[in-house]
Amino acid sequence: MNIKLNNSNFLIGLLALTVSFPIIVVCSSWLFPGTELWGHFAQNLLPDVVSSTLILLLGVGIGVSILGTVLAYLVVMVDFPGQSWLEWAIFLPMAIPAYVLAFVYLGVFDYSGYAQVWLRETTGIPGFDIRSGHWAIILTFILVFYPYVYMMARASFKRQKIQMIEAGKMLGAKPLHVFWRISVPLARPAIAAGVLVVLMETLADFGVVSLFNYSTFTTAIYSAWGDFRSIEVAAQLASLLVLVSFFLIYFEKKARGKAKYYSTDISNIKPYKATGFIGWSIFLFVFGIFMLAFAMPMLQLVIWSIEKYSEEWTQRYLGYLASTSILTISATILTVVTATILALPSRRKANSKVLQILIRFSTLGYALPGSVMAVGLLYGIQNISIVSIYFGGSSINHILFGSVALLLFAYVSRFIAIAFNSANASTEQIKPVYEQSAKLLGASRFRLIREVYLPMMAPGILAGGLLVAVDVMKELPATYLLRPFGWDTLAIRVFELSSDQFYERAAVPALIMVLIGAIIMLIFNKLDKEYF
Amino acid sequence: MEYQVNKKVSILSILIIAILSTSFSTAVLAASDEPLTVYSTRKENLIKPLFDAFTNKTGIEVRYLTGKGGALIERIKLEGKRTKADMFMTVDAGNLWYAASQNLFQPVESEVLVNNIPSHLRDPEGLWTGLSVRARTIIYSTDRVNPEELSTYQDLANSKWKGRLCLRTSKKVYSKSLVASLIHHDGVENTSEVVKGWVRNLAATPHAEDNYVMSAILAGQCDVGIVNSYYFGRLQTREPNVALKLFWANQDSTGTHVNISGAGVTRYSKNPENSLKLLEFLSSIEAQKIYVGLNKEYPASQKIKADNLITLWGDFNQDKMNLSVAGKKQAESVALMQREGYK
Repeated sequence: MNIKLNNSNFLIGLLALTVSFPIIVVCSSWLFPGTELWGHFAQNLLPDVVSSTLILLLGVGIGVSILGTVLAYLVVMVDFPGQSWLEWAIFLPMAIPAYVLAFVYLGVFDYSGYAQVWLRETTGIPGFDIRSGHWAIILTFILVFYPYVYMMARASFKRQKIQMIEAGKMLGAKPLHVFWRISVPLARPAIAAGVLVVLMETLADFGVVSLFNYSTFTTAIYSAWGDFRSIEVAAQLASLLVLVSFFLIYFEKKARGKAKYYSTDISNIKPYKATGFIGWSIFLFVFGIFMLAFAMPMLQLVIWSIEKYSEEWTQRYLGYLASTSILTISATILTVVTATILALPSRRKANSKVLQILIRFSTLGYALPGSVMAVGLLYGIQNISIVSIYFGGSSINHILFGSVALLLFAYVSRFIAIAFNSANASTEQIKPVYEQSAKLLGASRFRLIREVYLPMMAPGILAGGLLVAVDVMKELPATYLLRPFGWDTLAIRVFELSSDQFYERAAVPALIMVLIGAIIMLIFNKLDKEYF
Repeated sequence: MEYQVNKKVSILSILIIAILSTSFSTAVLAASDEPLTVYSTRKENLIKPLFDAFTNKTGIEVRYLTGKGGALIERIKLEGKRTKADMFMTVDAGNLWYAASQNLFQPVESEVLVNNIPSHLRDPEGLWTGLSVRARTIIYSTDRVNPEELSTYQDLANSKWKGRLCLRTSKKVYSKSLVASLIHHDGVENTSEVVKGWVRNLAATPHAEDNYVMSAILAGQCDVGIVNSYYFGRLQTREPNVALKLFWANQDSTGTHVNISGAGVTRYSKNPENSLKLLEFLSSIEAQKIYVGLNKEYPASQKIKADNLITLWGDFNQDKMNLSVAGKKQAESVALMQREGYK
C-alpha cells in the first residue's frame, strides 16, 4: 500500500520534472563561465532595466488585481443592465495579441495619433510623448492582461459559499463590506493565481515593450543574445526571471499565511439587483472597459480588414486555420490534463515538500521569454543526443526538431502555469476531510477524484483551459521557431505582416483570431453552464 | 459513463489526427523531386514571388521556413549535418556576417555572382551575397527644414537640432550597422560624441519603427530623422505628396550608408548545385526586378535600374565600406550606444 502511494508521488514528480525540462536547460547556463559582458551590462544597462522592470510589475500587478477583481465581482454578484453579455464580452480582449493592442493604442494616443492630433487642434494643448515615463505602458498592460485575473476570480466568486454571504447580509453588512470582508478574502487564492500569471507574462513580454521602447529584463536578454551573440548570458539573465517568479510565488504563499477557506457546495448566489442610477453607473464602467480594451481596437482592425481583405485573403488561410486549430485543441487538452494531475489534492503529496517545490518549479516556464525557452528546448535535446551518441546510440535531433510533438511539449511547458494556477486555486476550497471519509468508506482514490475532486475543481480547470486555449492560439515565439514546415499559424501571419509594418493587412488574420477566440469562449461558456 | 468514454475517444482521435497529419505532410513533401529548402528571416510576402519565379523557370521547387534571425541561426546550428536548410536568407550585413562566423555557410565560386553583384556587397570569401540594397539616410520635413541645413549623420549631433531629431531604437539592427560604419570611419571616440549629441537632440524616446519616425516628423514632434529608404518609398507610394523628403547623407565624405538583404548556401546543404543556381537566379535581372518592385529597394545588381519612384530621389554615392565590417563592429557599436544612453 505504502509503496503504491509513493509510486504516485514518484510519477507526479517525474511528470513535473519532464515539464520543467526547458527551464532546467536554461538554468544550467550557469555551468558556463560568465563573460565580460556582465560587467558592461551591470554598468550600463541593468540599473535602468531592473528599476523599470520593478516599477512595471508593481503598477501592472496593482492595476490588474483591482480591475480584474472588481469586474469579476460585479458580473457575478450584481445584476446590472447588460450584465449577461458583458460577462463574456470583457473577456474578449484576451483574444487579441498584446502587441496588436499596443500598436493600436500607440496609433491613437501617441503624439502623432488621432486622439492627440485632435486634442492639439481643438484645444492647443502641446503634444506629449506617451512612451516616455511609465504610466502609459502600465495602463496598456493592465488593459491587455486583466482578463487573466478576471477569469480566475470570476470562477472563484461563482463558487463562494452562499451561507457566508447570506450570513454577512443578515448581519447587516453593506454590499461593499461583503465584498471587502467576505468575498475578496475567499477569492484570494484565485486572484493571486491570476496576478501571478499576469506578472510572469509581463516579465516575459517582448512585443509591447519593444513598441514602447521600454526597457525591461527581456531587453537585456535580447541584447545579450542579439547584440552580443551570447546565448549563455541570455540564458543566465533569463534564469533570473525564473528566480523572480519563484519569489513571487513564495511571497504570495507567505503573505497568505495559514489561512484557508473551504467551500462545500456549488450554489447559485443570488446577485444584488442594481437598477437605476447605480445600475447604469456600473454598466457605464464595465462598458467603458469593454470599449477601451476591445471595441476600439476592434473597430480599427475591422476598418483595416475591410480595406485589405481582398488583397490578403487567399487559399492559404485554410492552412493557417487548420494548423491553428489543431495545435490549439491538442495543446489545450494536453496542458489541462497535465496541470490537473499536478494539482489534484492528496495528503501524501502535501506532506512532501520536495514534490511541492518541484511542481511549482515546473510552472515557472511562463516567465521565460518564449524564444529563449524554445531555444533552451532545442539545446536540451541536442544534449540528450550528445549523451546518446556517447553511449553508442544515435542522435534524436532529426526526429524531434521541427516535429509537432516537440511544439506541443513546448506549449505544455510554457502554459502549464496558467492551467495549474487556476486548477490549484480551486483545490484550495476542498476540505482535506474528503480524503479521510473516502478512505473510511472504502472508496477508491479514482472514485474520489472522479466524483469529488474533479467536479469541485471543474470551474478552475475550465477557466484555466479557456485561458490556455486562447494563449496557445496567440503564441508566437515558440511556434515560430519550432513549427514543422507548412504549419504556419494565424499568429505567425499577424507577426510577419506587422513586423514588416504592413499593419493594415495584419488586421485580417488578427480579426480571425478574435473570432476564433470568441468561438473558444462560446464552447467554454456552454461547458461552464453545465456545471453551474 | 458512456458519455465520458466518448469524450476520451474524441480526445484521443484528435491527438491521432494531429500526429498523423504531421507525418502525412512530411511524406507528401518528401515525395516530390528534391525541392530546395530556404530558411529565411525575410517574410513570406517578400520571398514567395521570387521562389515562384525560380520554380517556373527551372522546375525546381523551393520550400521555405521563416523565422527570427537569432533563433533561426541557432536552429540551423543545432540541426547540424542533418539540417534541411540549403540556403539561409536574411537582412542586414551584420546578421549575414554573424551567420558566416558561426560556420553556417559554404563558400561559392560563381562567375555569374561576381559579374552581377559589386564586391563590397559580397563576402570576401564568397560565403554570402547581397541581393538587395537599402540606403539608411536622413529624412526631413519639407515644411520646416531647409535642405541646405543638412549635411551628414554626424551633423545631426549639432545643437541646432536640439529637440528636432527623431531616431529609431538602437535595438534594431539597422541602427547598429549605421553606427558600426561611423566607428569604422571616425573611430570610437568621435562616434561616442556623435551619439551623445544625437541623444541630447532627441525630441522623443527613440521610436520602435522607421514608420513611427516618419509619422512623428509629419505630426510635428520633430523635424529630421534617419530611416531606411524603402519605408519612405512605401509611404510615398501611398501618399505621393507627403511633406517629407530624403536627403543623401555624407555625399562629400564617406557616402550614404547602405545595407543589404542577402543569402548564402548552407554548409550542409544536400544540394549545393541547385542552391547556387537559386542564388545566381536571385542576382539575375529577372529576380532583381522583382526585388525592386516588391519593396522599393535598390537592386544589388549593377545591371538594372531602380524602380521609377526611387530614381526620382536621385543618384547618390554609396558608402563603399565592405559590409562585413558592419558585422564585425556590431557588438562594439551596441556597447557604445548603450554607454551613451541611446535606447
